[in-house]
Amino acid sequence: MNCTRRNFLIGGSTTLFLSGYFPKISFASMQKKNLIIISLRGGMDGLTAVPVIGDKRLKKLRKKLILENVLNLNSDFGIHPKLEIFHKLWQKNQAAFVHATNIPYTGRSHFDGQNLMETGAHIPYKEKTGWLGRGLLASNIIGKGLAISLPMPLLLRGVPQNNNFFPSPDFVETKLIDQIYNEFKGEHNELIKSTLDTIRQRPLSMQIATDSDDRKKLALEAAKQLKDQSGPRVAVFDLDGFDTHAAQGGVDGAHADELEEVNKIVTILHKNLGQAFDNTLILTLTEFGRTIKQNGGYGTEHGYGSAILMAGGLLKKSQVYTDWPGLKKKELFEGRDLNSTIDSRAVYNSAMSVCFNQDPEFLRKEVFWGDELPDLSQELFKI
Amino acid sequence: MSLNFYRRVAFGLSPNENPDKDPLNWAINQLDTIPDLLWPGTIPTEKDLRKKYGEWVYGDREVLRKKFKNDKHAYRKAKDELRIKTGERYFELNEHAIRHFQTKYSQQPVFERFWLFWGNHFAISEKDFLAEFSTGPYQREIIRPNMVKTFEEMVQSVTTSWCMIHHLDNSESFGPNSKKGMEWGETINENHARELLELHTVSPNAGYTQEDVIQLAYIMTGWAHKWDRKNLETGDIWFDQEMHQKGDKIVLGVKYKNDAKRELAKVIHDLATHPICIKFVSTKLCRHFITDEPTEEMIDPVIEAWNKSNGSLIEIHKAVITQAYKYNENTHKFHPPEIWLMQLSRMFDLNIPLSFEKMNYTFKSKPNNRQRQLSWILREIGHSPYRAKQPNGWSDLEVDWVSPELLLRRFWFASVELPMLIKSGNRSHDFILGCLKNNFEDHENMASLIDNFRFGTSDYDLGQKYGVICNLPGVLKI
Repeated sequence: MNCTRRNFLIGGSTTLFLSGYFPKISFASMQKKNLIIISLRGGMDGLTAVPVIGDKRLKKLRKKLILENVLNLNSDFGIHPKLEIFHKLWQKNQAAFVHATNIPYTGRSHFDGQNLMETGAHIPYKEKTGWLGRGLLASNIIGKGLAISLPMPLLLRGVPQNNNFFPSPDFVETKLIDQIYNEFKGEHNELIKSTLDTIRQRPLSMQIATDSDDRKKLALEAAKQLKDQSGPRVAVFDLDGFDTHAAQGGVDGAHADELEEVNKIVTILHKNLGQAFDNTLILTLTEFGRTIKQNGGYGTEHGYGSAILMAGGLLKKSQVYTDWPGLKKKELFEGRDLNSTIDSRAVYNSAMSVCFNQDPEFLRKEVFWGDELPDLSQELFKI
Repeated sequence: MSLNFYRRVAFGLSPNENPDKDPLNWAINQLDTIPDLLWPGTIPTEKDLRKKYGEWVYGDREVLRKKFKNDKHAYRKAKDELRIKTGERYFELNEHAIRHFQTKYSQQPVFERFWLFWGNHFAISEKDFLAEFSTGPYQREIIRPNMVKTFEEMVQSVTTSWCMIHHLDNSESFGPNSKKGMEWGETINENHARELLELHTVSPNAGYTQEDVIQLAYIMTGWAHKWDRKNLETGDIWFDQEMHQKGDKIVLGVKYKNDAKRELAKVIHDLATHPICIKFVSTKLCRHFITDEPTEEMIDPVIEAWNKSNGSLIEIHKAVITQAYKYNENTHKFHPPEIWLMQLSRMFDLNIPLSFEKMNYTFKSKPNNRQRQLSWILREIGHSPYRAKQPNGWSDLEVDWVSPELLLRRFWFASVELPMLIKSGNRSHDFILGCLKNNFEDHENMASLIDNFRFGTSDYDLGQKYGVICNLPGVLKI
């Protein structure tokens, strides 16, 4: 890549001034809009998912992690060959990427980092709710969160009556719950009690038994739910395994396998959401990126800046939106990591404002304690 | 003292156990010695299983992949045969049986609860084939014997164990100025150093920096498995001077002089006796046995016992139990699925694990469904103990274990699976009533909730009864 810092803010922001921006209540905003977050635990390597093209320094530092068959996006960036669906959607203005971005956390601990990517806070373990849960609550959207995982992710906590879908192998008679429901008394039983409420209100379609090991089936069911006008508006997928300290590989290594999973989920969502895909945003979330340099095990270490993969009909256009910090030693964070020039929370705040029909200013205050988070909805999303 | 103390610090009382006159003493007296493993079936050594691990990875990687590189189908078939021959799908099942047999029958169940705690504090998460071959013996041979020593000794053993070193990639960490590092242009892998600080000892509360992590990683370079062409990565752990970073190192402001393999013991001593480490681990212990958010008042006596005994785990454990006893009546603790299952198994004398004769494996065919049953249940209720997703192990917080699906899984287990685990002599209503009376003060209220089914002994009826009983608030939590 030839470009250096700030000589381009890739994206269409120049046209913005020409077209002007008039917020309007359109028909589209009355349609249910879906926000889907895919958590990538372990630290997704933005430079593997969305590599810069032709950077000699990167090639030198990652001799054993060279990617072949990169799918080109533009003259500066490509995407990993396993992310086929994003490439396909890119052609239709339905895929985009934010690069050199992260939550404002530089500590390189997975557990602190994952806590912060979900709470959106600055101090690990201080907040007990997730930014998505708070965003739903502030927007008065209750009981519309769906997690595709066995536990309830922290990200969604903070708003009551979230559901999750990860069915047991057999049909479970929920009428047993009626027999014991009244036994849950006192404040310390509140969480279980409200969870039992949610179970009792589940639609019949969620009481099926299926193989929860099969991510395809789960994604398929999620798509069905999201498609329903009265169904959930938010879904959270949880993937792990991005912590590739060893054997990270290039086209086929450990990181590629994980990206393939992301690709699979997005492919199924795209296919099965049908028309509803036009009113959907899919965004990834990770705790940090990885070091520029490969380590002793042909893997990479915990880093800082990463990328957000985005798909869906609510994207403004295909673009790699970045304020590229460069990969020269002095441009790296602490001389070793891709820097983060965009607080990823600004992207998430903007995405919530679009999907929940809320003023981003309002959400920023309600959800992120009024932190400086620029509104990126005009640059990134259809409004 | 409420009967729930027996579940707070152990697994409840089995049908042939009675409450003790002095529950605190009953509990504290279980902590001085290491109870024998009771499993009458095979208990393979760590070394044997590592050999099997080696046969499996060598056979797959070095033989089959080369032999069948152009025939995917034949490769798959040969690989399945190798799985059977090396027990790749079997040993984890056997480990679960050893573990659950122990928590069900041990005469020192309180000790066993601490065993589970430490195994999760120094967790081995799902990686490569560790759960298949290595995590179980690590729990038995590394964690268990150290439970009557000091915390520092425990950290030493864990840090230099094959299992942890493989888990956190230390064999791939080269001092950049070491002989091999320079020759091969290799550098450090920080993974193990970071988790030694963050998870195992001082926690981020100590305020260490990236430079501290790097310096600790330098100290740890050289602690690696011995590699050879036949055993690949499954060779013994040794200290490879040619990988070790030369020069002095500074961690958390303390200087460690260039001293080769002796550096590690010195830094572990300082980390394991650091006041912030002591507070961090004491808090975790109180969280496990008392309540999700323990107060300083609860934790302080544990810290005091720690300091007074120079980190003797026996004394620390006794202090934790004393605090758990003291706060038993006015604190609540939700139990994660595996502990819940262990308690049900002990209280209602369930037919798990499978008898050791039936667990016997001949290395000639795949493990059968009965052999897989316990491990399958653990997975389905969301808590397969040796497959934590990340190196911080399984959470000890209620919020992480309460979701619609996780609760539904418990209803599923209690109403669908559990009836099939009731021993044939135990299907009567009186049996349940007896178990309830043995373990719960409010057994009469509990009994009234299942009174409608008092004449039923079919699987369905038992499912209705246990479905209710096992999911009552007083059973899900203390």
